[in-house]
Amino acid sequence: MEEPRIGVYLCWCGTNISKMVDVEAVTKEVSTLPYVVLSKNYKYMCSDPGQDLIIKDIKSHNLNRVVVAACSPRIHELTFRNACEKAGINPYLFEMANIREQDSWVHTDRSEATLKAIDLVIAAIRRVRYHEPLQKRTVNVDPATLIIGGGISGMSAALEIANAGKKVYLIERADHLGGQVARFDLTFPHLSSAQQMIGPMIQRVENHPMISVSLNTEVKEVDGYIGNFRARLAQKGAEQPEITFGNIIAAIGLKPFDPSVIEEYSYGKFPDVITSLEFEDNLRAGRILTKYGKEPRNVAIIHCVGSRNRKYHEYCSRVCCMVALKFVHEIRAALPEANIYEIYADMRAYGKGHEEFYAMTTHKQIIFLMYDQQKRLPVIREAHRDDDCNMLIEMNELLSGIDIEVPVDMVILMVNMEAHENVKEVVRTIGVSLCGNQFFIEKHPKLDPVATTTGGVYIVGTCQGPKDIPDSVAQAKAAAARILATIAQGSVPVEVTTAIVNESLCCGCQTCISVCPYSAVSYDEIKKASVVNEVLCKGCGTCGGCCPAGAITSKHFTDRQILSEIEGIMSMSY
Amino acid sequence: MNFRPTIVAFLCNWCAYTGADLAGTSRLHYAPNVRIIRIMCSGRIEPTFILKAFKEGADGILICGCHPGDCHYQEGNYKCLRRFKLLEKFVSQMGIEKERLKLEWISASEGKQFAELVNEMTKTILQLGPGKVKKTLEFEHLKTK
Repeated sequence: MEEPRIGVYLCWCGTNISKMVDVEAVTKEVSTLPYVVLSKNYKYMCSDPGQDLIIKDIKSHNLNRVVVAACSPRIHELTFRNACEKAGINPYLFEMANIREQDSWVHTDRSEATLKAIDLVIAAIRRVRYHEPLQKRTVNVDPATLIIGGGISGMSAALEIANAGKKVYLIERADHLGGQVARFDLTFPHLSSAQQMIGPMIQRVENHPMISVSLNTEVKEVDGYIGNFRARLAQKGAEQPEITFGNIIAAIGLKPFDPSVIEEYSYGKFPDVITSLEFEDNLRAGRILTKYGKEPRNVAIIHCVGSRNRKYHEYCSRVCCMVALKFVHEIRAALPEANIYEIYADMRAYGKGHEEFYAMTTHKQIIFLMYDQQKRLPVIREAHRDDDCNMLIEMNELLSGIDIEVPVDMVILMVNMEAHENVKEVVRTIGVSLCGNQFFIEKHPKLDPVATTTGGVYIVGTCQGPKDIPDSVAQAKAAAARILATIAQGSVPVEVTTAIVNESLCCGCQTCISVCPYSAVSYDEIKKASVVNEVLCKGCGTCGGCCPAGAITSKHFTDRQILSEIEGIMSMSY
Repeated sequence: MNFRPTIVAFLCNWCAYTGADLAGTSRLHYAPNVRIIRIMCSGRIEPTFILKAFKEGADGILICGCHPGDCHYQEGNYKCLRRFKLLEKFVSQMGIEKERLKLEWISASEGKQFAELVNEMTKTILQLGPGKVKKTLEFEHLKTK
């Protein structure tokens, strides 16, 4: 092995790292370690000047190993690997130390955080010394795409890909396409018809020669890897022929929050307390009537039902405020005399045309009543027989501070967007991760919000987080563009950190074969040794972990690399 | 001098490491004693890694993988669990308190649980005091000289 020449780079990440870690001290501390040629720090290592610094140093100082201490490798490992490659060294001769997510952001004692950073950087330096160059491998991309979910996100992506002449398998669990949007009457802020938008779209999808739509269908199992997936589908429980495809889009949508868990609202108990989606059904049917068949004289719309409340969901669903205002327009048009109450916690009008829409709605003779989401929810109770209404809402009106009773005949609950109930199953089938609110995690929250950490798997629409129609469509088209780009290239790079067997050390016990979940290891009777099929191997390293002869090397996670990391990681502890 | 315990944590890339990152993005504060080593799957963990970490002076060792059924590689965490049971016995045979070695499942969404786990483990180790493996080995080394 050539003598290691290591360049170490510490990132300030603005103040994100530098305010809790003494970056200068770490830089100095590691500068004298064996094989470290230089150590530097810079405000933003991931920026172009930051990367250029590495590239220039590799060339001028003849570096052959690089360590960057910055954010999580899950965010920028690839960025820096690419920089190394640009400078002419193998991208795997790079190692990252996570001193932001796992250090500066989680600690409050600057000297402890600095010591930890030194440990982590030393560990990376010790590890990178034993890194070996790995050769990139590419696989051909099957030009078909599997899209799970036939709502507006799934259909938008399907049309985009199919219009480029590529095959799409669109799988929908329900017996019709359209998802949530199919339930809407009008859309905000232009009050245009959702039906006139989604209806023709469904037709285009169903009639498109490149889209094969399967309704009442679920994806049972997905095998393979980017470019080369295959899946088993089940239609109404009956198994379908296997399909093959190169990329996957998950567009499984959302589940409306079930408000029956909020005692204050008596949903399920009072027939005229209904959810926003149930109200959409009424609007689509063209009538606003109570369960007694009468036109309501008093309608209340309660915001943030299940949203922005620690007891239910802490996050904001983003669209409900505007949907509630849209309801005002529809109710006012149908019932010119009715009293309309907007019982809100905060009015959020963040999007294009939303603030204007809010301003327009305030001229509709409605009463805005604010409640304190954190302190006391409004309580819906039955009215007395001599009251001139069906129900009363008791609440403390926050702006005036007064306890009031609001007479109502119908209450619409603006329910939160929850993650789909099917989400765990889908997670298992396609191998993506969930965030704390059970939405799919994107590869990078800002720079790559449509991809996932699993190659070839994309997430679009509300399964990635609450969003409105334009955002869902934008995300769907972005994912489609990404997929079309890989199809156009014809091949994609795949994981090279697979396992390899040293045949002369293999004792033939075949333990590795029994633990491999992908049947990637087989026994070669002639060589009397195990052999790994690199195409099937996904690099989990379990075979390496259990090999009693030490004959299996997990590339990029070799015993030597990990043991060296362990040696370095406690440097400052004693 | 005050005892500053060192805990080495082996975290799988897909669930536990992501969970630890989430603790960071959520700015949850936890004890600074933990040193994280990333592996692709908890199934990769060899007994050697654990013994090596004790030998290098770890006062406690955490292994975290995906919850049963959630493994990115289908069942690497079960393989880890099986080996862990044996390792636990082995380690206590060596005179290392079994509380110093812990296996926990942390999902990508459990940043809070990870932070709590580190704090809990730190508390346990503070009660147990410094690990003795490194010191013992140093002493043995002197004797043989």
